[in-house]
Amino acid sequence: MRVRTSLIALAVGSVLLAGCSSVGVKPWQRDILSRSDMRPDGAGLDDAIDEHLYFSKEASSGGRSFGGGGCGCN
Amino acid sequence: MQLKSQPAVLRRRLIAASCALLTTSATRSQEAPEGGFVGRLLKEWQLESALAYYHENGRVQAIEPVVSASHDYDDGGNVSFNFTFDSLSGSSPNGALPSRAAQTFASPSAQSFATARRLYNVAPGNLPADPHYSDARAAFGGSWTLPLERLTRVTLGGKLSIEDDFYSGTFNAAIAHDFNDKNTTLSFGISDEADVIKPIGNTPVPLSNYAAFDKEGNKSKNGVAALLGLTQVMNRYWLAQLNVTADRFSGYLNDPYKIVSVLDAGGNTTGYIYENRPEVRTRRSVYLENRVGGARASAGLSLRYMTDTWGIRSQTAQVNLRWWAAGRQQYIEPTVRWYHQTAADFFQPWLPNTTAPATQFISADSRLANFHALTYGVKYGFDLSDKLHRGGIRAHRTRRVLSADTQHQHCDAGLAAGTRSVSEPEGRPGAVRLQLLGA
Repeated sequence: MRVRTSLIALAVGSVLLAGCSSVGVKPWQRDILSRSDMRPDGAGLDDAIDEHLYFSKEASSGGRSFGGGGCGCN
Repeated sequence: MQLKSQPAVLRRRLIAASCALLTTSATRSQEAPEGGFVGRLLKEWQLESALAYYHENGRVQAIEPVVSASHDYDDGGNVSFNFTFDSLSGSSPNGALPSRAAQTFASPSAQSFATARRLYNVAPGNLPADPHYSDARAAFGGSWTLPLERLTRVTLGGKLSIEDDFYSGTFNAAIAHDFNDKNTTLSFGISDEADVIKPIGNTPVPLSNYAAFDKEGNKSKNGVAALLGLTQVMNRYWLAQLNVTADRFSGYLNDPYKIVSVLDAGGNTTGYIYENRPEVRTRRSVYLENRVGGARASAGLSLRYMTDTWGIRSQTAQVNLRWWAAGRQQYIEPTVRWYHQTAADFFQPWLPNTTAPATQFISADSRLANFHALTYGVKYGFDLSDKLHRGGIRAHRTRRVLSADTQHQHCDAGLAAGTRSVSEPEGRPGAVRLQLLGA
């Protein structure tokens, strides 16, 4: 059973490593990635306004960036 | 991740401070002089502005203009500033439950019922809310990113926020390093926040009798936070980001305006006490975001899990889909966000009058309850024909629903006989917000 588990883990690990070898792009392949809608922080003021609103109404905040307050609303 | 966000040409020039006049403002900025200080400013800085309007049915409404300015340096550095102003007014729940009898409360500035300038009465069955609530906030922030060498950069930032009853200062620093032909970025940041709370009418003593007006002086709280992030370019169409954050806040963490109803065995309100929360709160969260894009469409999926030492666990999922029209000058972007949190260990909608609240933690603040919220909305964005300016409008609607067990707690208190149940803490049909954007 242990051997079988090890073999499965080895197979899965090999597939993942093979996948990682193809991860990433060359500099000339960044045309789509360079757009603002492809950046995690690309929404700018939209995100700032949303984060502030959700912070004032929920017990959670942050994640994308620091979840500090800077506001007495919560 | 060091990615060029837009063609450089899109980063130039000013639109307006007010988005309400987007088109007009854009036209004016095109006519700005090319020389001199103003001309250089318009050429070298990217300015964005937004005006958000938020409305809860029968409750608060808020207007929030935001302006930001950023400038990229040739060496990869960046400096940015932002200014936010909030104006809130309307009616805000004070934490007490509806009652079979009419209830009378004093606005926070009062030092006794006899001398209170403003009293407000709540009809039987209605959720008590202070109708005179108003607040304003001005916040100014800035950040400076400077490259240490080709693959490493440091960002320093700060923020000051001022309200009538709250002052806050935040400092943060982060370092990011690119690996793997700039396909992998590892970042680490820390943040420190110091707040001073000066409640209107002074700070109520936790657990004290509401009618006693037992107040004390100003309070403070401090917070520290750390963030570890990994951003990975998966392929030409897919970017992934994983963040792990932890923060710790200590000091005065109560809401000084929230009270808790005290009920007898028959469900009749016999009084109120001020809430009392623990003085330390530590939170941890994991955040995963994926961005997938094609020529005419892109999608963002983010997931967040948070847990804290108050017993709250939350899950958040958000999906954005953006479709560009032919020519890529207009897009439409629907959004759906789902949020759920469990209640804080000390959340309690009411307190039996047989319980002595000498040392216990208790809060009836619905933001600490078990609830879920669904937000859905849409954004329409466009580039002006000059390719220098952008504009947009967003509309969102949120519906929050308290968990069934919390609603049952209300019913256990005998409130089912009221004229309406307390099924939603933050506005009956939910909240809507509108937002205008310009850049």
